Amino acid sequence: MSSTAYFFQQFINALSLGSIYALVTIGLAMVFSILRLINFAHGDLMMIGSYAILMLFNAGLPVWTAILAGVAISGITGIIMERLCYRPLRGSAEMNTLLTSFAVVVLLENGAVLFFGPNTQPFGILNFIQPTLAVGSLLISKIDAITVVLTLAILILTALFIKKTTLGISMRAVADDLTASQLVGIPLNRVIVSAFFIGSLFAGLAGLLWSARAGKIFPLMGFIPVVKAFVAAVIGGFGSIPGAVIGGYVLGFAEVFFVALLPPDFQGYRDAFVFVLLIIILLVRPQGILGAKAMERRI
Amino acid sequence: MQKKISIAILAIATVFLLAFSGPVGADTVKIGVIENLTGSMASLDQPSLNGVKLALKEINDAGGVLGKKVEIIVRDGKSDPATLATVVEEILGKGVSALTGLSDTTMVLAAAPAAQRMGVSFVSSGATSPSLPDEVGDCLFLEPFGDNVQAAAAAEYAYNDLGAKSVWVLYDKAMDYTYLLQRYFCDRFGGLGGAIISKATYQTGDTDFRAQITSLKSKKTLPDILFISSGPDEIGTIVKQVRDMGIKIPIVGGDGYDTPLLAKVAGPAAATDIYFTTHVALDSKGTKAFVENYNKMFGHPPENGFAALGYDAFKLIVNAVKNANSADPKAVKTALAATQGFKGVTGTINYPKGIRVPQKSVTIIKVDGGKFIFEKEVMPSEIPAP
Repeated sequence: MSSTAYFFQQFINALSLGSIYALVTIGLAMVFSILRLINFAHGDLMMIGSYAILMLFNAGLPVWTAILAGVAISGITGIIMERLCYRPLRGSAEMNTLLTSFAVVVLLENGAVLFFGPNTQPFGILNFIQPTLAVGSLLISKIDAITVVLTLAILILTALFIKKTTLGISMRAVADDLTASQLVGIPLNRVIVSAFFIGSLFAGLAGLLWSARAGKIFPLMGFIPVVKAFVAAVIGGFGSIPGAVIGGYVLGFAEVFFVALLPPDFQGYRDAFVFVLLIIILLVRPQGILGAKAMERRI
Repeated sequence: MQKKISIAILAIATVFLLAFSGPVGADTVKIGVIENLTGSMASLDQPSLNGVKLALKEINDAGGVLGKKVEIIVRDGKSDPATLATVVEEILGKGVSALTGLSDTTMVLAAAPAAQRMGVSFVSSGATSPSLPDEVGDCLFLEPFGDNVQAAAAAEYAYNDLGAKSVWVLYDKAMDYTYLLQRYFCDRFGGLGGAIISKATYQTGDTDFRAQITSLKSKKTLPDILFISSGPDEIGTIVKQVRDMGIKIPIVGGDGYDTPLLAKVAGPAAATDIYFTTHVALDSKGTKAFVENYNKMFGHPPENGFAALGYDAFKLIVNAVKNANSADPKAVKTALAATQGFKGVTGTINYPKGIRVPQKSVTIIKVDGGKFIFEKEVMPSEIPAP
């Protein structure tokens, strides 16, 4: 393999990993921009989506129906989460909602341990699209190709939604100034529920892609992705949706290229290097890549 | 966060249990069993516990030992060293004659020192680092062979039988087992004249290995085999991603592969042309009775060799209790150290004077289309020093 081909192969690896991070981070950023809530239970929506897909598939549903239904279940869980756990606390201190999100994490993860059992389960429902795609001397796994194309499509749709639709514009208005947008008659609950629903749908989809890559699911699988998404959101500028996307891709590229460029003895410490990068970014640009200066005051 | 809470709860529970457990009853022989029934090691430790339960049933059906029934005290270590260190104290507080369990070196290193301090023997049922007895002390016994033996067997098999002259190594940096296994393998493979092209690393819990695999693909000459030293929870994902990226090179590894997750996670198409060393072939003649009894008790055949290891380790302890004619931990320890010619499902155990790692033969299994097929049983001709 030539060095150019090597670079492109790693580029594709980074692009597909970054896409998944971007999908998870958007949901985190959407909710944060409106409610100033860092919803750490967001990763568990990936877990719920993946388990729902697997269970529906095992119950005999066709693959694509199971996937659609599973992703929808993840979205609905997001709505329920907002209604039961976050709405009663609306208007209280940010620390309270943050702690609540940890409580939701404990509840969902232990609930999953009780309900699905604590052990790793194989997740092979997308194995039928295994074959790789040969492009010149490059071999691209089809899952990677699907991940990248699907994410790009979703990103474009999300951008259009936020820029063009009434709901999207309301979302931006609420993110900009919650009190003022209520004064001009924007239906706050509808905006918040939509943000949770859309973010949770993306989380469910990211869960599917994540599980299909790893080939396995387990009740605590949401923990690492949500920490990574949190890092991506900080890198991109917390609360900014384009920032979330950029942060996701920066993180994906950093992870892959640290492994590609570091000597073997240090590859295992990839995450340590990623967090050093995070510290450097925060030292140079405390508000993140796309974060507005005003964000500093709010956080 | 969640881990901390569970540790706190366990600590409180331990205090209560210690306070209310009362005087040690003398009407049963108590043996502690510590296993990771949840978390990343569960696919090895659950079968291991089943093996223990089967051995317990057989022993008690035959009248127990020293005229008393045998009782087990089981605790879950949750694949977490901090939890293990706590629950082992809880078991020791019950006055056990000896302890067994655990399939990983890092986990034993977390649990066994507490037993050593109390002078209670710990028979590692599945952890394979040959330096464990020196690291922990004279209370630690290995039931399986050491990693140096299985790695040497893998190296000799790869070099002589598979005709491999070069290898690429991928290993988990966060586990003692995976680090040692690849080190012994490289020692022996290099000693035979094989070339180690390069090494790559990852950490337990990683789910994306594509960057490492791509760096393998960039090599000018591809290796004859891949030696992937992994624990049971990652190996399926690694094999899947290696094959996903179009690499058809044979994969060689150790007893961490002996889990149903390998074929299930990777899928039958990817789980092909894989060779690994383990403790026992469950389709051979010598294990027939064990497999049948296990099937009868649990409704399915043993998941892997760790079931047989748990079974053997437990019987080894009861054998020592019988030989010592006492359930006192000190007497049991002396009897364990003097074990000669103990015949288990996984081989014969002798502990030569001062050595607490048995010399046992290594089973080589081939994975083809997701199926585990017995290849051969070997004793390596040269073994790297621990």
